[in-house]
Amino acid sequence: MFALPALTVYVVFLVYPAVSSLWFSFTDWDGLSPAYNVVGLDNYARMLEDPVVLTAGKNNLIWSLVTIVFPVTLGLALALLLNGKVRAKPVLRLVFYAPGVLPLVSIASIWGWLYNPQYGAINSFLSLIGLGDLAQPWLGQDSTALWAVMVPAVWLRTGFPMLLYIAALQSIPAELYEAARVDGASRWRQFWHVTMPSLRSAHYIVLALSLIDSFKVFDMIYAMTYGGPGTATQVMGTWMYANVFQYYQAGYGTAIAVVITLIAIAVGIPYVRSQTRERAT
Amino acid sequence: MTGRSYTRRGFLALSSVAVTGLGISACTGASISGGGATAPASNKLRLFTYEDDTTIGSLKAQVKKFDEQNGTTTTIDSLPGSGAAQYPDKLRTELLGGSGPDVWRIWGGQIGAPFAKAKQAADLAPYYQKYGWDSSINTAAVQGMTFDGVKAGVPFTARALGAWYNKELLAKAGVTDVPTTYAELEEMNDKLVAAGITPCGLGGKYGWHIMRLFEYLLEHTAGPELHDRLLLGQDSWDRPEVVEAFTLFKKWQDKKWLPEGALGLDPADVGTWYVQGKVAYDIEGQWTETAAILAADKDPKDFGVFQLPTDQSPARHSGFVEGYMINANSGNKDKAAALLDFLLTPESQKAMQIGSSTVKGAEPDPATTPLAAEWAEKYGDSPFYTIQDQAFPKKEADQYFSIQSDLLQGSMTPAAAAEKMQEIVAAWAGN
Repeated sequence: MFALPALTVYVVFLVYPAVSSLWFSFTDWDGLSPAYNVVGLDNYARMLEDPVVLTAGKNNLIWSLVTIVFPVTLGLALALLLNGKVRAKPVLRLVFYAPGVLPLVSIASIWGWLYNPQYGAINSFLSLIGLGDLAQPWLGQDSTALWAVMVPAVWLRTGFPMLLYIAALQSIPAELYEAARVDGASRWRQFWHVTMPSLRSAHYIVLALSLIDSFKVFDMIYAMTYGGPGTATQVMGTWMYANVFQYYQAGYGTAIAVVITLIAIAVGIPYVRSQTRERAT
Repeated sequence: MTGRSYTRRGFLALSSVAVTGLGISACTGASISGGGATAPASNKLRLFTYEDDTTIGSLKAQVKKFDEQNGTTTTIDSLPGSGAAQYPDKLRTELLGGSGPDVWRIWGGQIGAPFAKAKQAADLAPYYQKYGWDSSINTAAVQGMTFDGVKAGVPFTARALGAWYNKELLAKAGVTDVPTTYAELEEMNDKLVAAGITPCGLGGKYGWHIMRLFEYLLEHTAGPELHDRLLLGQDSWDRPEVVEAFTLFKKWQDKKWLPEGALGLDPADVGTWYVQGKVAYDIEGQWTETAAILAADKDPKDFGVFQLPTDQSPARHSGFVEGYMINANSGNKDKAAALLDFLLTPESQKAMQIGSSTVKGAEPDPATTPLAAEWAEKYGDSPFYTIQDQAFPKKEADQYFSIQSDLLQGSMTPAAAAEKMQEIVAAWAGN
């Protein structure tokens, strides 16, 4: 009985919409009309023939790889740096974490201006230091647009792993390092044989959350390039949105959403399993 | 052991369901209540629009006046800035969520059509009769808000696109007269580039802004009759006139008649560059006088406007209709219609400085918007072709924008672009 209010909220706001969304993925609902037809697995089969789904899937993979490897590595490096004896440590933590709390639309606007080919700071700076030949229409060409959006994504996503790693580093007993030093371990060996194993659970959390976050990317792409030029920066999230909300193909768009969710579940299972193991012990 | 295993699996299963739920419910927010029951009547109205800061004040003032006279309370929500790329999505989401506005502003053609087709917008025929809109509003504009014979909207502006230019920059390049032929326009562009000035300010983000150039070039190469047939899918796009238009389109970029990296530029930024002196001209509608020139406290005398020369007869420009729709599920349809009728009086239209009103007797005032008045006087009676993002449904328009993008980046030839356009239009028109 005590669980009933929470369960009701859960069922009404989560389970019901999820199940009805799954249902719509088997229909040709346009998203506006009250009438629709059941089309079975047609929407899923259609995804296999949709060239934009291929582009979007590829972009998701590239995005996930880059926006996990760089922020996690940088976050760990910064955490190690800030865990030591560094002056102005609280200020630096704030500086590195600050981009993560800024509204994404603001970040997208700011970087959009920085990338402006004629008046943006990036091309102006390149010209100033004599590298004008490297100036590009960063967001206006297929070859650079996705990479250009990934730069602010890395910038704003570095702070979160940094904080998690700092917390994890502070929980490593100092005795382990003392013992390693007594055994003559260099700083590098201390890092590999004491620090890294002790950060195992932090790695799980950081990687799982980063992976899920990366795969459901939508906002940065939508705000900075709108999926363009053409469809060059479409990812599964923006393509789902385009179909559901712009093309009046809610059935097809929902099928894309279901696939995104299944992938997110697949990559989230190791994290959930690790958490359940911890709870069980 | 068994108990522990069960708990772990249970947690895993619940977590998976939670993730699934969060994922797909957040993605779609789907509900079948889109058709929704009619809301109860009240004195409260909500109007949804995309007015920006420069125009929403005058709309609010008129609505307040209406409220005072009729005892209603009208809330106005606005989503400015993104053009037709995002506003319809927000509107649609609101309607599906069951909290749709009583009245909303919308573009005509294929942008407004889905709302009429899904019967989210009320049939306004009874109100056309009651308020005599058929006789007070421009007939051609009414057609733009009529969908499959149903008058699902009432038009209040008929926009026309022309070249809005900065006189100082043209003078700096030695251009004394605005072009009257396409060859003269190219000549003017060359002079501007030679003077270090980017001629035409258009941005490719969202696709619709830079589209204004291509549709003009197509009018130039194909002529009025063929252009109209192409837009309706009645003729093949895979033809020399279309190839020539795409070739010219590429030429505009290659000769730097467009800004560097135009494809990535946001129309909201580029649209004011001619006022700021960063480009010589832009392809805009009459709204730009209020939204860009007057909003920047600039003197309209420093700017000018001309119809882009097509070398065709009749000389046409791109145009589109905007109007209002009433929510079919609103419990306040009569009051909403009364509000629209109030906004459609010549007095309200003039007070809102609508530079392209569809209402007879509400022509632009030369004292407040001299350039819009000049346009109305010179080209007000010129025929227009449907702006392409209203001619095609959104999906087809996006596919077309993708071709524009590939062509300008050099990854598609003009001939391939024409062929691809034919595939897209044929698939749509064949349905």
